[in-house]
Amino acid sequence: MDRAPGIDHRRIFGIETEYGVSLTGGDGDCSAGQVAMAMFRSLVERNRSTNIYLSNGARLYLDVGSHPEYATAEALTPMDALIQDLAGERIMANLARQAGSILADRLGPGARVHVFKNNVDARGHSFGCHENYLLRRQVPLEMVRGQLVPFLVTRQLFTGAGRLGEDGFQLSQRADFLDEAVSSATTRARPMVNTRDEPHADPDRYRRLHVILGDSNRSQTVTWLKLATTHLVLGLIEEEVLAGRSIPFGDCALADPGAAMRSVSRDRNGRVPLDLEGGGTVSALDLQNRYWEACRAYIDDSGDQTGVGIPMVGKVLVLWRAALDALDAGRWEDLADWVDWAAKLRLLKGEEARGADPLKARRLDLDYHDIASGRSYGALVRHGMMRTLVDDHRIGEALRTPPQTTRARLRGNFVARAETTPLQWSCDWTRLVLQGNHRHEVRLMDPFAHESDEAYLAMMGELAQDRAVFDPV
Amino acid sequence: MPQEFSRLSSSARSGQEQTEEDTGTAGASARARTQDTSLDSVLDDIESTLEDNAEEYVKGFVQKGGE
Repeated sequence: MDRAPGIDHRRIFGIETEYGVSLTGGDGDCSAGQVAMAMFRSLVERNRSTNIYLSNGARLYLDVGSHPEYATAEALTPMDALIQDLAGERIMANLARQAGSILADRLGPGARVHVFKNNVDARGHSFGCHENYLLRRQVPLEMVRGQLVPFLVTRQLFTGAGRLGEDGFQLSQRADFLDEAVSSATTRARPMVNTRDEPHADPDRYRRLHVILGDSNRSQTVTWLKLATTHLVLGLIEEEVLAGRSIPFGDCALADPGAAMRSVSRDRNGRVPLDLEGGGTVSALDLQNRYWEACRAYIDDSGDQTGVGIPMVGKVLVLWRAALDALDAGRWEDLADWVDWAAKLRLLKGEEARGADPLKARRLDLDYHDIASGRSYGALVRHGMMRTLVDDHRIGEALRTPPQTTRARLRGNFVARAETTPLQWSCDWTRLVLQGNHRHEVRLMDPFAHESDEAYLAMMGELAQDRAVFDPV
Repeated sequence: MPQEFSRLSSSARSGQEQTEEDTGTAGASARARTQDTSLDSVLDDIESTLEDNAEEYVKGFVQKGGE
Protein backbone atom coordinates (compact mmCIF):
# COMPACT_ATOMS: atom_id res chain seq x y z
CA MET A 1 0.00 0.00 0.00
CA ASP A 2 1.38 3.45 -0.87
CA ARG A 3 2.05 5.61 2.12
CA ALA A 4 1.35 9.32 2.03
CA PRO A 5 4.63 10.88 3.22
CA GLY A 6 4.84 13.08 6.27
CA ILE A 7 1.51 12.18 7.82
CA ASP A 8 1.19 13.11 11.45
CA HIS A 9 0.09 9.93 13.26
CA ARG A 10 -0.14 11.47 16.70
CA ARG A 11 -3.47 11.36 18.44
CA ILE A 12 -5.04 12.61 21.65
CA PHE A 13 -6.89 10.02 23.75
CA GLY A 14 -9.33 10.54 26.58
CA ILE A 15 -11.75 8.38 28.57
CA GLU A 16 -14.87 9.65 30.34
CA THR A 17 -16.25 7.19 32.87
CA GLU A 18 -19.65 7.55 34.51
CA TYR A 19 -19.91 5.61 37.75
CA GLY A 20 -23.04 4.20 39.38
CA VAL A 21 -23.51 4.54 43.15
CA SER A 22 -25.59 2.89 45.88
CA LEU A 23 -25.61 2.14 49.58
CA THR A 24 -26.44 -1.05 51.52
CA GLY A 25 -26.75 -1.93 55.18
CA GLY A 26 -28.01 1.47 56.33
CA ASP A 27 -30.75 2.11 58.89
CA GLY A 28 -33.03 3.89 56.43
CA ASP A 29 -33.07 4.66 52.72
CA CYS A 30 -30.40 6.49 50.83
CA SER A 31 -30.82 7.38 47.16
CA ALA A 32 -28.08 7.43 44.52
CA GLY A 33 -28.30 11.24 44.60
CA GLN A 34 -27.61 11.34 48.35
CA VAL A 35 -24.65 9.00 48.01
CA ALA A 36 -23.23 11.09 45.18
CA MET A 37 -23.66 14.34 47.14
CA ALA A 38 -21.90 12.83 50.14
CA MET A 39 -19.01 11.83 47.86
CA PHE A 40 -18.74 15.39 46.59
CA ARG A 41 -19.26 17.16 49.93
CA SER A 42 -15.63 17.99 50.71
CA LEU A 43 -15.01 19.04 47.09
CA VAL A 44 -18.02 21.36 47.13
CA GLU A 45 -16.88 22.90 50.41
CA ARG A 46 -13.49 23.65 48.91
CA ASN A 47 -14.45 24.60 45.37
CA ARG A 48 -18.12 25.65 45.70
CA SER A 49 -18.80 23.52 42.64
CA THR A 50 -19.45 19.93 41.54
CA ASN A 51 -17.42 20.51 38.39
CA ILE A 52 -13.71 20.52 39.16
CA TYR A 53 -10.43 20.33 37.28
CA LEU A 54 -7.68 18.52 39.16
CA SER A 55 -3.94 18.93 39.41
CA ASN A 56 -3.51 15.83 37.23
CA GLY A 57 -5.35 17.66 34.46
CA ALA A 58 -8.56 15.62 34.72
CA ARG A 59 -12.14 16.83 35.16
CA LEU A 60 -14.22 15.45 38.02
CA TYR A 61 -17.93 16.22 38.14
CA LEU A 62 -21.40 15.16 39.08
CA ASP A 63 -23.32 14.30 35.93
CA VAL A 64 -27.02 14.09 35.06
CA GLY A 65 -28.67 11.24 36.98
CA SER A 66 -26.36 11.47 40.04
CA HIS A 67 -23.39 9.86 38.32
CA PRO A 68 -19.96 10.83 39.59
CA GLU A 69 -17.94 11.18 36.41
CA TYR A 70 -14.22 11.34 35.73
CA ALA A 71 -12.84 12.57 32.41
CA THR A 72 -9.14 11.85 32.00
CA ALA A 73 -6.72 14.53 30.94
CA GLU A 74 -5.56 14.49 27.34
CA ALA A 75 -3.19 11.57 26.79
CA LEU A 76 -0.80 11.04 23.91
CA THR A 77 -0.75 7.23 24.17
CA PRO A 78 -3.24 4.53 25.17
CA MET A 79 -0.97 3.69 28.13
CA ASP A 80 -1.09 7.26 29.46
CA ALA A 81 -4.88 7.24 29.07
CA LEU A 82 -5.09 3.94 30.98
CA ILE A 83 -2.98 5.29 33.86
CA GLN A 84 -5.14 8.41 34.07
CA ASP A 85 -8.31 6.31 34.05
CA LEU A 86 -6.95 4.16 36.88
CA ALA A 87 -6.18 7.34 38.83
CA GLY A 88 -9.85 8.25 38.36
CA GLU A 89 -10.89 4.87 39.77
CA ARG A 90 -8.78 5.47 42.84
CA ILE A 91 -10.14 8.99 43.32
CA MET A 92 -13.68 7.60 43.20
CA ALA A 93 -12.77 4.92 45.76
CA ASN A 94 -11.34 7.63 48.05
CA LEU A 95 -14.49 9.75 47.70
CA ALA A 96 -16.58 6.67 48.48
CA ARG A 97 -14.62 6.18 51.71
CA GLN A 98 -15.32 9.78 52.74
CA ALA A 99 -18.99 9.37 51.85
CA GLY A 100 -19.10 6.19 53.92
CA SER A 101 -18.06 7.96 57.10
CA ILE A 102 -20.39 10.92 56.42
CA LEU A 103 -23.37 8.65 55.82
CA ALA A 104 -22.57 6.32 58.74
CA ASP A 105 -23.42 9.22 61.07
CA ARG A 106 -27.00 9.15 59.84
CA LEU A 107 -27.42 5.53 58.70
CA GLY A 108 -25.36 3.62 61.23
CA PRO A 109 -22.02 1.78 61.14
CA GLY A 110 -23.36 -0.95 58.82
CA ALA A 111 -23.80 1.50 55.94
CA ARG A 112 -21.59 0.61 53.00
CA VAL A 113 -21.08 2.73 49.89
CA HIS A 114 -20.81 1.05 46.49
CA VAL A 115 -19.38 2.63 43.36
CA PHE A 116 -19.88 0.69 40.16
CA LYS A 117 -17.65 0.98 37.15
CA ASN A 118 -20.25 -0.70 34.97
CA ASN A 119 -22.95 0.46 32.56
CA VAL A 120 -26.39 -0.63 33.76
CA ASP A 121 -28.33 -0.53 37.03
CA ALA A 122 -30.98 -2.88 38.43
CA ARG A 123 -33.79 -1.23 36.46
CA GLY A 124 -32.08 -1.13 33.08
CA HIS A 125 -30.88 2.47 33.21
CA SER A 126 -27.70 2.58 31.21
CA PHE A 127 -24.76 4.96 31.52
CA GLY A 128 -21.52 5.17 29.66
CA CYS A 129 -17.81 4.95 29.25
CA HIS A 130 -17.04 7.35 26.44
CA GLU A 131 -13.80 7.24 24.50
CA ASN A 132 -12.48 10.36 22.80
CA TYR A 133 -10.14 10.28 19.82
CA LEU A 134 -8.83 13.37 18.09
CA LEU A 135 -9.50 12.71 14.39
CA ARG A 136 -8.27 14.53 11.29
CA ARG A 137 -11.04 16.71 9.91
CA GLN A 138 -10.68 15.26 6.40
CA VAL A 139 -12.25 11.94 7.42
CA PRO A 140 -15.90 12.06 6.27
CA LEU A 141 -18.53 10.88 8.72
CA GLU A 142 -19.81 8.41 6.15
CA MET A 143 -16.47 6.65 6.44
CA VAL A 144 -16.78 6.52 10.20
CA ARG A 145 -20.13 4.79 9.78
CA GLY A 146 -19.04 2.43 7.01
CA GLN A 147 -15.47 1.60 8.04
CA LEU A 148 -15.16 2.21 11.79
CA VAL A 149 -18.55 1.20 13.23
CA PRO A 150 -18.25 -2.46 12.08
CA PHE A 151 -14.98 -2.63 14.03
CA LEU A 152 -16.52 -1.07 17.13
CA VAL A 153 -19.55 -3.37 17.00
CA THR A 154 -17.44 -6.53 16.80
CA ARG A 155 -14.55 -5.58 19.12
CA GLN A 156 -16.81 -6.48 22.06
CA LEU A 157 -15.53 -10.04 21.49
CA PHE A 158 -12.58 -8.93 23.65
CA THR A 159 -13.69 -5.58 25.11
CA GLY A 160 -17.04 -6.68 26.58
CA ALA A 161 -17.32 -6.47 30.36
CA GLY A 162 -19.94 -9.25 30.56
CA ARG A 163 -23.48 -9.05 31.87
CA LEU A 164 -26.02 -11.43 33.32
CA GLY A 165 -29.05 -10.15 31.39
CA GLU A 166 -32.68 -11.18 31.16
CA ASP A 167 -31.91 -13.92 28.64
CA GLY A 168 -28.65 -15.19 30.09
CA PHE A 169 -25.00 -14.20 30.07
CA GLN A 170 -23.84 -11.84 27.34
CA LEU A 171 -20.49 -10.33 26.40
CA SER A 172 -21.44 -6.67 26.63
CA GLN A 173 -22.98 -4.34 29.19
CA ARG A 174 -24.07 -1.81 26.60
CA ALA A 175 -25.33 -3.82 23.63
CA ASP A 176 -29.01 -3.73 24.62
CA PHE A 177 -29.05 0.03 25.21
CA LEU A 178 -27.83 1.62 22.00
CA ASP A 179 -29.91 3.15 19.24
CA GLU A 180 -28.52 4.50 16.00
CA ALA A 181 -24.96 4.19 14.75
CA VAL A 182 -23.89 7.82 14.30
CA SER A 183 -25.67 10.85 15.70
CA SER A 184 -25.15 14.20 17.36
CA ALA A 185 -27.21 13.62 20.53
CA THR A 186 -26.42 11.41 23.53
CA THR A 187 -29.08 11.69 26.18
CA ARG A 188 -32.25 11.12 24.14
CA ALA A 189 -31.26 8.77 21.35
CA ARG A 190 -28.16 6.83 22.33
CA PRO A 191 -25.89 6.58 19.31
CA MET A 192 -22.77 4.41 19.06
CA VAL A 193 -20.60 7.24 17.81
CA ASN A 194 -21.43 10.80 18.67
CA THR A 195 -20.47 13.55 16.27
CA ARG A 196 -21.40 16.59 18.32
CA ASP A 197 -18.56 18.72 17.15
CA GLU A 198 -16.57 20.06 20.09
CA PRO A 199 -12.99 19.26 19.14
CA HIS A 200 -11.43 21.29 22.01
CA ALA A 201 -8.78 21.99 19.36
CA ASP A 202 -8.42 23.75 16.00
CA PRO A 203 -11.77 22.93 14.33
CA ASP A 204 -10.31 23.38 10.84
CA ARG A 205 -7.93 20.49 11.43
CA TYR A 206 -9.67 18.15 13.82
CA ARG A 207 -12.88 16.70 15.02
CA ARG A 208 -13.28 14.84 18.31
CA LEU A 209 -14.66 11.39 17.74
CA HIS A 210 -16.81 10.47 20.72
CA VAL A 211 -17.30 6.69 20.95
CA ILE A 212 -20.22 5.80 23.18
CA LEU A 213 -20.87 2.12 22.61
CA GLY A 214 -18.05 0.73 24.75
CA ASP A 215 -18.26 -0.91 28.16
CA SER A 216 -16.41 0.33 31.23
CA ASN A 217 -13.56 -2.11 31.77
CA ARG A 218 -11.92 -3.35 34.95
CA SER A 219 -9.20 -5.15 32.98
CA GLN A 220 -6.29 -2.77 32.52
CA THR A 221 -5.20 -4.76 29.50
CA VAL A 222 -8.55 -4.28 27.79
CA THR A 223 -8.82 -0.55 28.50
CA TRP A 224 -5.41 -0.18 26.92
CA LEU A 225 -6.07 -2.57 24.03
CA LYS A 226 -9.41 -1.08 23.06
CA LEU A 227 -7.82 2.37 22.70
CA ALA A 228 -4.79 0.97 20.88
CA THR A 229 -6.75 -1.12 18.37
CA THR A 230 -9.25 1.68 17.72
CA HIS A 231 -6.32 4.07 17.22
CA LEU A 232 -4.77 1.77 14.59
CA VAL A 233 -8.06 1.44 12.72
CA LEU A 234 -8.49 5.23 12.77
CA GLY A 235 -4.90 5.75 11.66
CA LEU A 236 -5.44 3.52 8.65
CA ILE A 237 -8.67 5.32 7.78
CA GLU A 238 -6.91 8.70 8.00
CA GLU A 239 -4.09 7.54 5.74
CA GLU A 240 -6.50 6.24 3.15
CA VAL A 241 -8.46 9.46 3.13
CA LEU A 242 -5.33 11.58 2.75
CA ALA A 243 -4.21 9.29 -0.10
CA GLY A 244 -7.55 9.81 -1.83
CA ARG A 245 -8.94 6.33 -1.21
CA SER A 246 -12.02 5.39 0.74
CA ILE A 247 -12.43 1.77 1.88
CA PRO A 248 -9.32 0.29 3.51
CA PHE A 249 -11.34 -2.51 5.09
CA GLY A 250 -13.53 -3.37 2.09
CA ASP A 251 -17.31 -3.28 2.01
CA CYS A 252 -17.99 -3.98 5.65
CA ALA A 253 -20.81 -1.53 6.45
CA LEU A 254 -23.43 -3.29 8.56
CA ALA A 255 -27.10 -3.21 7.53
CA ASP A 256 -28.24 -2.72 11.13
CA PRO A 257 -25.40 -1.93 13.57
CA GLY A 258 -27.75 -2.00 16.59
CA ALA A 259 -29.05 -5.49 15.79
CA ALA A 260 -25.49 -6.64 15.05
CA MET A 261 -24.34 -5.28 18.42
CA ARG A 262 -26.99 -7.36 20.21
CA SER A 263 -26.22 -10.52 18.19
CA VAL A 264 -22.47 -10.30 18.78
CA SER A 265 -23.07 -9.76 22.48
CA ARG A 266 -24.92 -13.09 22.64
CA ASP A 267 -22.40 -15.20 20.73
CA ARG A 268 -19.21 -16.02 22.55
CA ASN A 269 -17.85 -17.88 19.51
CA GLY A 270 -18.06 -14.87 17.20
CA ARG A 271 -19.73 -16.86 14.44
CA VAL A 272 -23.29 -15.57 14.17
CA PRO A 273 -23.90 -14.08 10.68
CA LEU A 274 -24.33 -10.29 10.54
CA ASP A 275 -26.15 -8.66 7.59
CA LEU A 276 -24.04 -6.38 5.43
CA GLU A 277 -25.49 -3.22 3.93
CA GLY A 278 -24.38 -4.24 0.46
CA GLY A 279 -25.94 -7.72 0.77
CA GLY A 280 -24.57 -10.97 2.17
CA THR A 281 -23.41 -11.70 5.69
CA VAL A 282 -20.20 -11.76 7.67
CA SER A 283 -19.31 -13.05 11.15
CA ALA A 284 -17.84 -10.95 13.96
CA LEU A 285 -14.67 -13.06 13.85
CA ASP A 286 -14.34 -12.61 10.06
CA LEU A 287 -14.65 -8.85 10.44
CA GLN A 288 -12.15 -8.72 13.29
CA ASN A 289 -9.72 -10.87 11.29
CA ARG A 290 -10.04 -8.46 8.38
CA TYR A 291 -9.24 -5.49 10.65
CA TRP A 292 -6.37 -7.36 12.28
CA GLU A 293 -4.76 -8.21 8.91
CA ALA A 294 -5.06 -4.63 7.68
CA CYS A 295 -3.60 -3.25 10.92
CA ARG A 296 -0.70 -5.71 10.80
CA ALA A 297 0.17 -4.51 7.31
CA TYR A 298 -0.18 -0.93 8.53
CA ILE A 299 2.21 -1.52 11.43
CA ASP A 300 4.68 -3.36 9.19
CA ASP A 301 4.72 -0.31 6.93
CA SER A 302 4.71 2.53 9.39
CA GLY A 303 6.51 0.94 12.35
CA ASP A 304 6.98 3.34 15.23
CA GLN A 305 5.05 6.05 13.40
CA THR A 306 1.71 4.72 14.62
CA GLY A 307 1.83 6.56 17.91
CA VAL A 308 1.00 3.51 20.03
CA GLY A 309 4.59 3.42 21.18
CA ILE A 310 7.23 0.74 20.60
CA PRO A 311 7.45 -1.95 21.93
CA MET A 312 3.79 -1.77 22.85
CA VAL A 313 2.64 -1.78 19.25
CA GLY A 314 3.82 -5.39 18.84
CA LYS A 315 1.89 -6.36 21.94
CA VAL A 316 -1.30 -4.93 20.45
CA LEU A 317 -1.19 -7.37 17.54
CA VAL A 318 -0.22 -10.33 19.72
CA LEU A 319 -3.00 -9.84 22.27
CA TRP A 320 -5.62 -9.03 19.66
CA ARG A 321 -4.60 -12.18 17.69
CA ALA A 322 -4.69 -14.31 20.85
CA ALA A 323 -8.24 -13.20 21.57
CA LEU A 324 -9.47 -14.00 18.06
CA ASP A 325 -7.68 -17.38 17.97
CA ALA A 326 -9.03 -18.43 21.35
CA LEU A 327 -12.62 -17.62 20.38
CA ASP A 328 -12.17 -19.27 16.99
CA ALA A 329 -11.13 -22.46 18.83
CA GLY A 330 -14.06 -22.17 21.24
CA ARG A 331 -11.67 -21.63 24.15
CA TRP A 332 -12.90 -18.49 25.87
CA GLU A 333 -11.40 -19.76 29.15
CA ASP A 334 -7.96 -18.95 27.74
CA LEU A 335 -8.91 -15.25 27.92
CA ALA A 336 -10.17 -15.33 31.50
CA ASP A 337 -7.07 -13.63 32.93
CA TRP A 338 -7.43 -10.47 30.85
CA VAL A 339 -10.85 -10.25 29.11
CA ASP A 340 -13.47 -8.97 31.54
CA TRP A 341 -16.42 -11.01 30.29
CA ALA A 342 -14.38 -14.23 30.37
CA ALA A 343 -13.07 -13.49 33.88
CA LYS A 344 -16.59 -12.88 35.08
CA LEU A 345 -17.99 -15.97 33.35
CA ARG A 346 -15.30 -18.12 34.99
CA LEU A 347 -16.34 -16.79 38.39
CA LEU A 348 -20.03 -17.35 37.65
CA LYS A 349 -19.35 -20.94 36.56
CA GLY A 350 -17.36 -21.51 39.73
CA GLU A 351 -20.18 -20.17 41.88
CA GLU A 352 -22.67 -22.28 40.02
CA ALA A 353 -20.63 -25.42 40.65
CA ARG A 354 -20.86 -24.54 44.35
CA GLY A 355 -24.64 -24.36 44.08
CA ALA A 356 -25.07 -20.58 44.13
CA ASP A 357 -28.59 -19.32 43.49
CA PRO A 358 -29.49 -16.72 40.83
CA LEU A 359 -29.51 -13.86 43.35
CA LYS A 360 -25.95 -14.65 44.34
CA ALA A 361 -24.99 -14.78 40.66
CA ARG A 362 -26.46 -11.31 40.14
CA ARG A 363 -24.63 -10.13 43.24
CA LEU A 364 -21.36 -11.41 41.78
CA ASP A 365 -22.11 -9.83 38.39
CA LEU A 366 -22.25 -6.43 40.14
CA ASP A 367 -19.49 -7.04 42.69
CA TYR A 368 -16.98 -7.39 39.84
CA HIS A 369 -17.53 -3.68 39.03
CA ASP A 370 -17.74 -2.33 42.60
CA ILE A 371 -14.52 -0.34 42.96
CA ALA A 372 -15.40 0.82 46.49
CA SER A 373 -16.56 -2.33 48.32
CA GLY A 374 -16.28 -5.10 45.73
CA ARG A 375 -14.05 -8.11 46.38
CA SER A 376 -13.96 -10.29 43.28
CA TYR A 377 -11.74 -8.25 40.96
CA GLY A 378 -9.16 -7.68 43.69
CA ALA A 379 -9.21 -11.35 44.63
CA LEU A 380 -8.57 -12.33 41.00
CA VAL A 381 -5.54 -10.04 40.86
CA ARG A 382 -4.24 -11.27 44.21
CA HIS A 383 -4.42 -14.92 43.17
CA GLY A 384 -2.75 -14.31 39.81
CA MET A 385 -5.92 -14.83 37.82
CA MET A 386 -6.12 -11.32 36.35
CA ARG A 387 -3.19 -9.63 34.64
CA THR A 388 -2.36 -6.00 35.30
CA LEU A 389 -0.26 -3.54 33.30
CA VAL A 390 0.33 -0.70 35.72
CA ASP A 391 1.82 -0.90 39.22
CA ASP A 392 0.25 0.89 42.17
CA HIS A 393 3.05 3.40 42.45
CA ARG A 394 2.43 4.77 38.95
CA ILE A 395 -1.28 5.07 39.65
CA GLY A 396 -0.49 6.94 42.86
CA GLU A 397 1.68 9.40 40.96
CA ALA A 398 -1.06 9.95 38.38
CA LEU A 399 -3.40 11.18 41.14
CA ARG A 400 -1.34 14.38 41.23
CA THR A 401 0.71 14.37 38.03
CA PRO A 402 -0.73 15.18 34.60
CA PRO A 403 0.48 13.51 31.40
CA GLN A 404 3.72 15.32 30.48
CA THR A 405 3.32 15.27 26.69
CA THR A 406 0.04 17.15 26.14
CA ARG A 407 -1.45 20.47 27.21
CA ALA A 408 -2.72 18.62 30.31
CA ARG A 409 0.75 19.31 31.74
CA LEU A 410 0.13 23.06 31.57
CA ARG A 411 -3.38 22.81 33.01
CA GLY A 412 -2.41 20.42 35.80
CA ASN A 413 0.58 22.49 36.91
CA PHE A 414 -1.59 25.62 36.86
CA VAL A 415 -4.28 23.99 39.02
CA ALA A 416 -1.71 22.58 41.45
CA ARG A 417 -0.24 26.03 42.00
CA ALA A 418 -3.49 28.02 41.93
CA GLU A 419 -5.01 25.78 44.61
CA THR A 420 -2.39 26.94 47.11
CA THR A 421 -3.28 30.64 46.69
CA PRO A 422 -6.36 32.64 47.72
CA LEU A 423 -6.62 34.08 44.18
CA GLN A 424 -9.65 33.60 41.93
CA TRP A 425 -9.00 31.18 39.11
CA SER A 426 -10.84 28.97 36.69
CA CYS A 427 -10.13 26.68 33.77
CA ASP A 428 -11.60 24.35 31.22
CA TRP A 429 -10.11 22.10 28.52
CA THR A 430 -8.79 24.98 26.41
CA ARG A 431 -8.48 27.97 28.77
CA LEU A 432 -6.79 29.00 32.02
CA VAL A 433 -7.90 32.17 33.79
CA LEU A 434 -6.32 33.86 36.81
CA GLN A 435 -7.50 37.02 38.52
CA GLY A 436 -4.38 38.37 40.20
CA ASN A 437 -3.01 41.90 40.09
CA HIS A 438 -3.82 41.59 36.42
CA ARG A 439 -6.28 39.31 34.72
CA HIS A 440 -4.44 36.52 32.94
CA GLU A 441 -6.07 34.37 30.32
CA VAL A 442 -4.11 31.66 28.55
CA ARG A 443 -5.66 29.77 25.63
CA LEU A 444 -4.55 26.18 25.03
CA MET A 445 -5.98 25.42 21.61
CA ASP A 446 -3.33 22.91 20.56
CA PRO A 447 -3.73 19.75 22.68
CA PHE A 448 -0.26 18.56 21.64
CA ALA A 449 1.50 21.74 22.86
CA HIS A 450 2.94 21.12 26.32
CA GLU A 451 5.67 23.77 26.64
CA SER A 452 5.14 27.05 28.49
CA ASP A 453 4.84 30.21 26.40
CA GLU A 454 5.36 33.78 27.62
CA ALA A 455 1.75 34.35 28.72
CA TYR A 456 1.73 31.08 30.67
CA LEU A 457 5.02 31.90 32.40
CA ALA A 458 3.74 35.34 33.36
CA MET A 459 0.63 33.84 34.90
CA MET A 460 2.59 31.15 36.77
CA GLY A 461 4.99 33.87 37.94
CA GLU A 462 2.17 35.78 39.55
CA LEU A 463 0.93 32.62 41.23
CA ALA A 464 4.40 31.94 42.62
CA GLN A 465 4.60 35.46 43.97
CA ASP A 466 1.24 35.24 45.58
CA ARG A 467 2.00 31.92 47.15
CA ALA A 468 5.11 33.44 48.70
CA VAL A 469 2.95 36.11 50.33
CA PHE A 470 0.20 33.72 51.24
CA ASP A 471 2.34 30.89 52.56
CA PRO A 472 5.83 32.21 53.39
CA VAL A 473 7.62 28.90 53.86
CA MET B 1 -34.38 -15.81 37.02
CA PRO B 2 -33.51 -19.48 37.61
CA GLN B 3 -33.91 -19.89 33.85
CA GLU B 4 -31.23 -17.39 32.99
CA PHE B 5 -28.82 -19.06 35.35
CA SER B 6 -29.51 -22.50 33.93
CA ARG B 7 -28.92 -21.15 30.43
CA LEU B 8 -25.59 -19.83 31.62
CA SER B 9 -24.77 -23.26 33.00
CA SER B 10 -25.60 -25.21 29.83
CA SER B 11 -23.39 -23.05 27.63
CA ALA B 12 -20.67 -23.03 30.25
CA ARG B 13 -20.68 -26.82 30.35
CA SER B 14 -20.28 -27.20 26.59
CA GLY B 15 -17.27 -24.88 26.79
CA GLN B 16 -15.69 -27.13 29.40
CA GLU B 17 -16.14 -30.29 27.33
CA GLN B 18 -14.35 -28.68 24.45
CA THR B 19 -11.41 -27.76 26.68
CA GLU B 20 -11.03 -31.34 27.85
CA GLU B 21 -11.11 -32.68 24.29
CA ASP B 22 -8.55 -30.19 23.07
CA THR B 23 -5.97 -30.63 25.79
CA GLY B 24 -5.27 -33.92 27.55
CA THR B 25 -1.50 -33.60 27.98
CA ALA B 26 -0.12 -33.93 31.49
CA GLY B 27 1.12 -30.32 31.47
CA ALA B 28 -2.24 -28.97 30.47
CA SER B 29 -4.14 -30.86 33.13
CA ALA B 30 -1.61 -29.80 35.78
CA ARG B 31 -2.18 -26.21 34.66
CA ALA B 32 -5.93 -26.75 34.81
CA ARG B 33 -5.60 -28.10 38.37
CA THR B 34 -3.60 -25.02 39.43
CA GLN B 35 -6.25 -22.83 37.87
CA ASP B 36 -8.97 -24.72 39.73
CA THR B 37 -7.13 -24.27 43.02
CA SER B 38 -6.73 -20.55 42.39
CA LEU B 39 -10.39 -20.23 41.40
CA ASP B 40 -11.36 -21.98 44.62
CA SER B 41 -9.23 -19.54 46.61
CA VAL B 42 -10.88 -16.59 44.87
CA LEU B 43 -14.36 -17.98 45.52
CA ASP B 44 -13.45 -18.61 49.17
CA ASP B 45 -12.28 -14.99 49.46
CA ILE B 46 -15.52 -13.54 48.13
CA GLU B 47 -17.95 -15.99 49.77
CA SER B 48 -18.96 -13.84 52.71
CA THR B 49 -19.20 -10.69 50.60
CA LEU B 50 -21.60 -12.34 48.17
CA GLU B 51 -23.87 -13.38 51.01
CA ASP B 52 -23.88 -9.90 52.54
CA ASN B 53 -27.11 -7.98 51.82
CA ALA B 54 -27.45 -9.75 48.46
CA GLU B 55 -31.02 -8.68 47.75
CA GLU B 56 -30.53 -5.06 48.77
CA TYR B 57 -27.28 -4.94 46.82
CA VAL B 58 -28.84 -6.23 43.60
CA LYS B 59 -32.20 -4.45 43.72
CA GLY B 60 -31.16 -1.27 45.46
CA PHE B 61 -28.78 -0.14 42.73
CA VAL B 62 -30.97 2.41 40.94
CA GLN B 63 -29.74 5.42 39.00
CA LYS B 64 -31.75 7.74 36.82
CA GLY B 65 -29.70 7.27 33.66
CA GLY B 66 -27.09 9.67 32.43
CA GLU B 67 -24.85 10.70 29.48
